[in-house]
Amino acid sequence: MTEAPVVAAPGPAPAPGQRRSSRWLAVLLVATIAVGAYLWVTTIRWQRNSAEWEEKAHEYAEEVASLRMQLDGANSELEAARDQLSTATARITDLANEKAQLGDENVASQQYLDYQTQVSRAAATVASALGQCVSGQEQLVGYLKDAEQYEAADLRRYERQVNALCAEADDANEALQRELRP
Amino acid sequence: MRSPVRRRAGGALVVGALLAGSLAGCGVLPPMPDPVPADIVPSAPADLSPAAGGDALSPDGFDAVERMAVRIRNVGCEELSTGSGFAVDEHTLITNKHVVADSKDLEVSTYDGHDITVGATSTAGLADLAVVRTTDPLPSFPELADADPEPGDPVTVVGYPAGGELTVTEGEVMGTTRDPLNANLGEVLLTNAPVEPGSSGSAALDAKGRVIGVVYAKTADDNSLLVPLSTLQDMLADDTAFTPAKGC
Repeated sequence: MTEAPVVAAPGPAPAPGQRRSSRWLAVLLVATIAVGAYLWVTTIRWQRNSAEWEEKAHEYAEEVASLRMQLDGANSELEAARDQLSTATARITDLANEKAQLGDENVASQQYLDYQTQVSRAAATVASALGQCVSGQEQLVGYLKDAEQYEAADLRRYERQVNALCAEADDANEALQRELRP
Repeated sequence: MRSPVRRRAGGALVVGALLAGSLAGCGVLPPMPDPVPADIVPSAPADLSPAAGGDALSPDGFDAVERMAVRIRNVGCEELSTGSGFAVDEHTLITNKHVVADSKDLEVSTYDGHDITVGATSTAGLADLAVVRTTDPLPSFPELADADPEPGDPVTVVGYPAGGELTVTEGEVMGTTRDPLNANLGEVLLTNAPVEPGSSGSAALDAKGRVIGVVYAKTADDNSLLVPLSTLQDMLADDTAFTPAKGC
């Protein structure tokens, strides 16, 4: 059996201009498909990226909220600590002042005590001098009662000594009175 | 009817334009996103700095100007008086000559009530100034200013008016004047910062907390007189300016 030879009937050949246009259209189609594919992949990636960022933003938002609460608490504690520090420093100043005033009073009291001691010593000295004056005058009176038994010159000398002693005692007493006068 | 040549040229033009548009569009196509980083928190905040004034904090809540002031009790042979003073270094106090005059014993205490042991005391011959050396260290001391203040400059006085609590008063420099008490050589400063007996020896400070003078008197119209900084500096620089104080 023999096959009949196939004979293609020769058709009209496409014009060269149409072939070039078809080629350009094919290139354009491929390029458009490529761009579309790229855009599709890009969109998917951006969507995934956006979701990750949103998730991270939520995490940080929760952390910020937590930190804000902690900050508010810390600020409250800081304010309370400042108030306590202010109260403590005011109290320290008060105590330092009280200590200083007590120290002043103590020194003033000591000085007054020293003064009183001096005055007491002076008063004792004056009292002693006045006592010696009185004793001398009593002795002199006794001598004068028996004046004929003593030398007149001795009596006059003793009288001068007693008068001098009494004058000194009197001066000391007046000085003491002036010191005690307010 | 259009000729084939013109149709071909038109088609090529359209295809070329579309191709050029496509290629131009590639330039504006969005890039692929970068991967999301695991941690975006910066290691140290760039614009965060310590709070203003943080370096002025003291260890116990008192200001530096309060910490350098001292109260001076002059125990005389017959009477008691009080005055103020301030530290210029760890073991040196400045006060007035009349605060330490006729003294049998000087007792110094700090802002918080601590007693400071006193060593030698010396007084200036040409100004109402005295230097007291201390055995114990003083808690704080200020800087001296660069120059005397000008009229209108603010002034802060830190001391113990009337021997009472540590007090800070403020005013401004009014100018210079001749010393009405003749206790100082040259002119003295006049300010309107309130002072009282017992404030003598207080430090007068400028706006930066630096010493500009030493309070030594109060005028009849309630202004205060200061030994100026320049006089203090001259006296401190002169080895012969201060002589040992005579007790009572």
